[in-house]
Amino acid sequence: MLKHTKHIIFFILALFAIVSCADYLDTDKYFKDRMSVEKAFKQREYAENWLAHAYSFLQNENADVCNKNHSWHNFADDIYTGDWDELYKKFKNGEYDEGSLQASWSSCYKGIRQASEFINNIDINEEMTQEEITDYKGQARFVRAYFYWLLLRKYGPIPIIKNDDGMIDYTLPYSEIALPRNHYDDCVEYITSELVQAAKELLLDREALNIARPTRGAALSARAKVLLFAASPLANGNNDDYAALLVDDEGNRLLSEKYDEMKWAKAAAAAKDVMELGKYQLYVSHYRDFGNNDFPQTIAPPYHPDYSGRDWPNGWKNIDPFASYRALFNGELSASTNPELIFSRVQNGTGGESGGLQWMVVHMLPRAANGWNTIGVTQKQCDAYYMDDGSDVSGKDKEIGRGNGSDRSDGYVTAADVQAGRYKPLLEGTSLQYANREPRFYASVAYNGALWPLSAATQADHRNYRAWYYRGSPDGYSNNFYWLRTGIGCKKYVHPYDTYENNSLSQVRYKTEPAIRYAEILLIYAEALNELNESHQVPSWDGSKTHTISRDISEIKKGILPIRLRAGLPDYPSDVYANKDGFRKKLKRERQVELMAEGHRYYDLRRWKDAPVEEVLPVFGCNTLMTENQRDLFHTPVAVSSLPTTFSDKMWFWPISKSELKRNSRLTQNPGWQTYD
Amino acid sequence: MRKIYITFIVLFLSISSFAQQGAIEVEGIVTDANEEPLIGVNIVVKDIPGMGTVTDIDGKYKIRMEPYHRLVFSYVGFDNVEVLIKEDRRVDVQMKESASTSLDEIVVTGTGAQKKLTVTGAITNVEVDQLKVNPTSSLVNSLAGNVAGVYAMQTSGQPGKNISEFWIRGISTFGANKAAYVLVDGFPRDINDVNVEDVESFSVLKDASATAIYGDKGANGVVLITTKRGKAGKVDIQAKLETSYNSRTITPSVIDGNEYVKMVNEAKITRNQEPIYSDEEFEIISRNLDPDLYPNVNWNSVLLKAGASTHRASVNVNGGSSTARYYVSMSYINEKGMYKTDDQLEKDYDTNADYRVLNYRLNTDVNITKTSVLKVGVAGRLSKQNNAAMYDEAQIWHAILGTSPVYIPVMYSNGYVTASGLGERTNPWVQATQSGYSEHWVNNVQTNATWEQDLGFLTQGLNFTANIGYDLSNANWINRVKWPKQWRAERMRDANGQLIFQHIAGPAEMYQESTASGIKKEFAEVWLNYGRGFNEKHNVGTTLKWHIDSNERTDNVGSDIKEGIPNRHESFAGRLTYNYALRYFIDFNFGYTGSENFAKDHKWGFFPAFSLAWNVAEEKLVKEKLPWINMFKIRYSDGRVGNDDIGTRIPYLYTLAFNGSKGYNWGDFYFNKYYQSLYYSQIASTGITWEKAIKHDLGVDLALFSDKLLITADYFDESREGIYYTRNFLPGMVGLESNPKANVGKVNSNGFDGNFTFRQKIGEVNFTMRGNWTYSKNEIIDIDEENSIYPYQMQKGRRVDQVTGLVALGLFKDYDDIRNSPLQEFGTYQPGDIKYADVNGDGVINDGDITSIGATRKPNLIYGIGSSIQWRGLDLNVHFQGSGKSSFLINGPNVYAFNEGIWGNVFSDIAHSKRWVSADISGDETTEDTNAEYPRLSYGGNPNNYRASTFWLRDGRYLRLKTLEVGYTLPKTWLTETHLNSVRLFFIGTNLFTWAPFKMWDPELGSSTGEEYPISKILTLGVTINI
Repeated sequence: MLKHTKHIIFFILALFAIVSCADYLDTDKYFKDRMSVEKAFKQREYAENWLAHAYSFLQNENADVCNKNHSWHNFADDIYTGDWDELYKKFKNGEYDEGSLQASWSSCYKGIRQASEFINNIDINEEMTQEEITDYKGQARFVRAYFYWLLLRKYGPIPIIKNDDGMIDYTLPYSEIALPRNHYDDCVEYITSELVQAAKELLLDREALNIARPTRGAALSARAKVLLFAASPLANGNNDDYAALLVDDEGNRLLSEKYDEMKWAKAAAAAKDVMELGKYQLYVSHYRDFGNNDFPQTIAPPYHPDYSGRDWPNGWKNIDPFASYRALFNGELSASTNPELIFSRVQNGTGGESGGLQWMVVHMLPRAANGWNTIGVTQKQCDAYYMDDGSDVSGKDKEIGRGNGSDRSDGYVTAADVQAGRYKPLLEGTSLQYANREPRFYASVAYNGALWPLSAATQADHRNYRAWYYRGSPDGYSNNFYWLRTGIGCKKYVHPYDTYENNSLSQVRYKTEPAIRYAEILLIYAEALNELNESHQVPSWDGSKTHTISRDISEIKKGILPIRLRAGLPDYPSDVYANKDGFRKKLKRERQVELMAEGHRYYDLRRWKDAPVEEVLPVFGCNTLMTENQRDLFHTPVAVSSLPTTFSDKMWFWPISKSELKRNSRLTQNPGWQTYD
Repeated sequence: MRKIYITFIVLFLSISSFAQQGAIEVEGIVTDANEEPLIGVNIVVKDIPGMGTVTDIDGKYKIRMEPYHRLVFSYVGFDNVEVLIKEDRRVDVQMKESASTSLDEIVVTGTGAQKKLTVTGAITNVEVDQLKVNPTSSLVNSLAGNVAGVYAMQTSGQPGKNISEFWIRGISTFGANKAAYVLVDGFPRDINDVNVEDVESFSVLKDASATAIYGDKGANGVVLITTKRGKAGKVDIQAKLETSYNSRTITPSVIDGNEYVKMVNEAKITRNQEPIYSDEEFEIISRNLDPDLYPNVNWNSVLLKAGASTHRASVNVNGGSSTARYYVSMSYINEKGMYKTDDQLEKDYDTNADYRVLNYRLNTDVNITKTSVLKVGVAGRLSKQNNAAMYDEAQIWHAILGTSPVYIPVMYSNGYVTASGLGERTNPWVQATQSGYSEHWVNNVQTNATWEQDLGFLTQGLNFTANIGYDLSNANWINRVKWPKQWRAERMRDANGQLIFQHIAGPAEMYQESTASGIKKEFAEVWLNYGRGFNEKHNVGTTLKWHIDSNERTDNVGSDIKEGIPNRHESFAGRLTYNYALRYFIDFNFGYTGSENFAKDHKWGFFPAFSLAWNVAEEKLVKEKLPWINMFKIRYSDGRVGNDDIGTRIPYLYTLAFNGSKGYNWGDFYFNKYYQSLYYSQIASTGITWEKAIKHDLGVDLALFSDKLLITADYFDESREGIYYTRNFLPGMVGLESNPKANVGKVNSNGFDGNFTFRQKIGEVNFTMRGNWTYSKNEIIDIDEENSIYPYQMQKGRRVDQVTGLVALGLFKDYDDIRNSPLQEFGTYQPGDIKYADVNGDGVINDGDITSIGATRKPNLIYGIGSSIQWRGLDLNVHFQGSGKSSFLINGPNVYAFNEGIWGNVFSDIAHSKRWVSADISGDETTEDTNAEYPRLSYGGNPNNYRASTFWLRDGRYLRLKTLEVGYTLPKTWLTETHLNSVRLFFIGTNLFTWAPFKMWDPELGSSTGEEYPISKILTLGVTINI
């Protein structure tokens, strides 16, 4: 018995010993080889994957230049879309609600988190050089700052996550997660300082394989944009009732009441920082002696003593202004061969039903090319284009009460005119209202009777198509969606080869999104300088020097004149530069023309506080109910009732979604919108 | 498999040791105190395996044995008698009735069996016989109304799916699993794998003191089941044969074609629309003149049999000697579905909802030494469930009820199969019989081995037990699908009067699809027990336990490592008890338990509980003055337990995933530098741990009048904290792409439960009456939810899963009434439509006026009362079961009449109830009754009327005659010529009558549409034979 006892006791002790030794619940061993954050950042390939995800949120609803659907900001008082009637009307009437087009809020913040995670961890990478790590960190930082910028532009002041790691600790209780909106200037300060840091980290150049990654120039340019918005009247010295209502959870105003001229100086200096990089120049296409429908012979601007005889950049002698401007958008130039392009999503976000630029072109193409024939230009935009000599078109803005007393031309191009080479590039039967306009007009506006080469069409009779918008014409008024409400089409971004034959995108050339191009930087420089009364000392972005910034006309001309000359237009008369108001008017018009359909006008009208006027004026266009026999009536502008216009205070900024307000108890809604109920 | 062989060998050895030598023959007669002979007294020779006999009809016995051994006489209800046989050849024995009382009742607890008297926690010991009367394949169906503290709800009557859900003391969480922790023979196993005939004991542990040793598994209560084991003595064989006929408690009844046509026309006319059917068409339908184009089909009778049968057979054998004992059982159940099948196809395969189960069990105990016992158990269950291939129960019932009588014929007169809609709107006859068949097998094998070692030689009262277990379960599902060619006739005939057919769908020839799943479980456990009394006053006991279990999926585990690793638990637990003279008791229990599912610092938790009891009956004063009080024990317990069954594997780990469509291409056009994205497909939820429950229980156990009346009653309250939940409302600003989990919610609940038994013997009649009740109520204190400016729209303050909707004020009287009432924003409405209350007073009725309007779908009250009477061989057992404090919304195509246009029929109860009918139609002003039960009819959708509101809220309470059992045990004298010991014939009626305010379908189903396989009403005939 005793022997047994010993055995038994030994056995029991052994059992308990086994129990206490083995760590039965240890699971770490199973997960050692699993994908981990550490692995993701140590290896180059995975790090690229991580970063790609952060970039991916730049697409679709967060694109700068895009067609309808994801965002509507490309459609202000300049262009419109005719299909998606109900949605477009809701958008224009301010009948959208707190739930409309809200994807960008969460996708921007997702991108911010993904980028922050990257910045926090990439230092452990074992396969990149220190220089690469720095550049990659700069990319993530740029992307993160850019998301904040997109939010700021759309929603106004937003909550900035200023923790060291740039991320909200999601394990905290909701009450501690809640963050209030930051002041507009706080947002700008955060974004621009991040962009400066990114500029220090980023490379200056990218080859074709990496062209969609930001460069130092992109960071500095984005900074100039942000500073321009901060200096503009909406955010700088805004004392109106609306501004008083835009407050955080403690009642603090979020837009500066006090006007600060220094903000303009900073914007100008920021633009100058970009200019002084010496990296970018306006793109020009060379003078063409002969041509065809696709690439016509150069139509030289009317003789000008200063510019006709001089080569670019001092004149336009050796360039083709029409081709120079057109090639920027229609896919002729690739991102890597475009010296003017500063930042673009390039290949990303181009697909997707109705989303990208190819799709926008499909919506512009006439019915003969199987296009939707729905995106067009308003009379106001049409009139904004100068005559080829820099004067205004006759009858400009007459209907909206801004005319100079002149009337619109009432003649038409005759066969004899064409024979004689008059009114190029107009063809027979075209209204003379469209004659002798500046080259950018012909690159952008598809007037009644304009020629669409559609050269990639397989059948000859589908090419070189003239689209007429008279009632009864294939592209005229109809009872479906596919007609142009103003009888004026748009062909910016349309390549002469483009056609939507067989409902296939394969014959629509790839277009590079012009998110930021150098022309915009020049315009920022001119606009900001014009607003100054005093001289300011502003340190350059990296502190290496100090810019002296003042309203120096020769400096202003550095901003605006190249844009004019490239377009074959002469400089303004000197009195335009004499006072701020006069030049401001010209500058706004220059932005309206040069940057048309690039996603600027909607936000420009708001930052200038022009929206209450410009967005409310009725949209005029040709009288689309008229047939070809009634062509005089057709070309007599009428108000287009199916294109609504309105503006109310709530439309300054996009509403914040109710669900976000419910979840973040410190968040405040933009004035005019419902919190939740 | 090897374990099974070993078990058989052990068993064989124990049986074959019958060898006898030098024996003498002993005979005699066994009587009771009144000198009446006792029949069937068990007689064994002590310590000799396999030697035994029983007394015959005259109380006589005869046994061959070796001299100088002891004979042990045992008989139920009598004290054992031991006699040393020297050389006597005749030994007459008189046995005394045992004086065992309720005080000696044994209760199985988490730390072993103990006397009920000494129990200080809230534990219900279930009478196993009460569980056996339910003739379905699952023993949980008999829990409702039989066990104090247990809620149960049967949500389907389909064979194989007719398994009640049950909860102990209600639902106290909205996050993790709500189900009780079930242990079979000490290890976590599925309660439905146990054959009810094998159950030896069934106890329900309810409070913290009883469940603390299970630590983070104990919060939802614990069910302990032990299975039968062999008893030394003569081979005892029990056989039971039953056959049942299942019909339905309530068959949802819908209107016929004539009524349908009248109602649908009314629905159109009352809304100023053209009626659908002309008078001529009505004639054709009502006289059934053109069944092809104007069918009038009773789908219930096309698809449903009046009833179906169940056959059940079970047999168990037990016996052995004092050194080796065995219990072997086998049972087979065949439950038939109640769908009609295609006679042609029936020969080839089975489309009906049939269910077959085979259970077996082998429990062997071997005394290896004088102080150690080895117990080995093997059990298994093989089941096979048949079904129609493409459609499940819900879809078939959707079609049976929703296909209107005039919609399509079952088949056209030329034999073409009629096409209806798609999916669940497919021709119901095609769904149930023509779409092929599916088979679902589940095979389980469960094994365990136990070594019990008495260490009394070290110190008295010390013993040691070690258990190991290993279970395997595999499920296979194969679906053989086909699809007949289906046609639809145009509404017009051609010039020759022939039908014009359009081919709509099919055919698809038979193909198959399959899936499988598997689970492997391993267990081990070690116990050390010590219990002893000192000086007849001080009784102490301690228990220490170490337990591990592992549960691993073996098939279809997916690509995430998290899902495939074994789910493991480990625990150390213990108990300290002390009582003073069975009068004052104090218990301390604890569990220190760990789960591998949580992060390092959150794996282990300590769960203490204590309980106190005072048995007032043992006080001198009471003993003297109130001797009729046999037991009067007041109990109180307080402790904390947890619930780690959160359903998510390794929530503290994040998952990184690649996404090929969310990447970015950095190259220029015509260059490729695309990188797919890498991101958190699931963010880590660090710090996740079990839910915590703090439980209190105050109870009383009473035994009065010599145990004639037994009462137990408990009040309990619980606070469940850190409820595991997904954080669904993080602001977008946080930037997450998946929602993290957290321990965020809190629910308080309280209630009471109890039971009583009253026994009386009047002459030869034994009368027993028993009842039990459970009531509980909970309130959400905290839950993950968004802000709302109307507090009543928040879940905080509501019950878990409380019904919400609008408050209906009746029907609109006239247009003035409409004009003078707040605007209802759901759609147009007229007099006779539902009028709602403006709950928030903002002048409009919209979603902001939705509030909590009823109780919960699951009952908050459940009770049972029953009685048994026994007279000689006759026994009668009646059991009523009821449930209450529940409510549910009704909706669906047959409730919302014509809401979906051509799809849907109307429940008869709705059609025949009073509804608002315009005087223009009825010609009678009084039919415009604003208090009518149903609103003005409408066709093709009525968003104003047909939405969740008190108008469609129904009370779920019911009372049913759950069991009526009549049995007759044949008199022993009839069996003398046979080898049978006893034979009992019985009849059981189950769910014979149901009383409920809600009549459209069985309210226990909890269905909102009635589209469920109905609960069965069962008539069973059976026989039990004991050899």
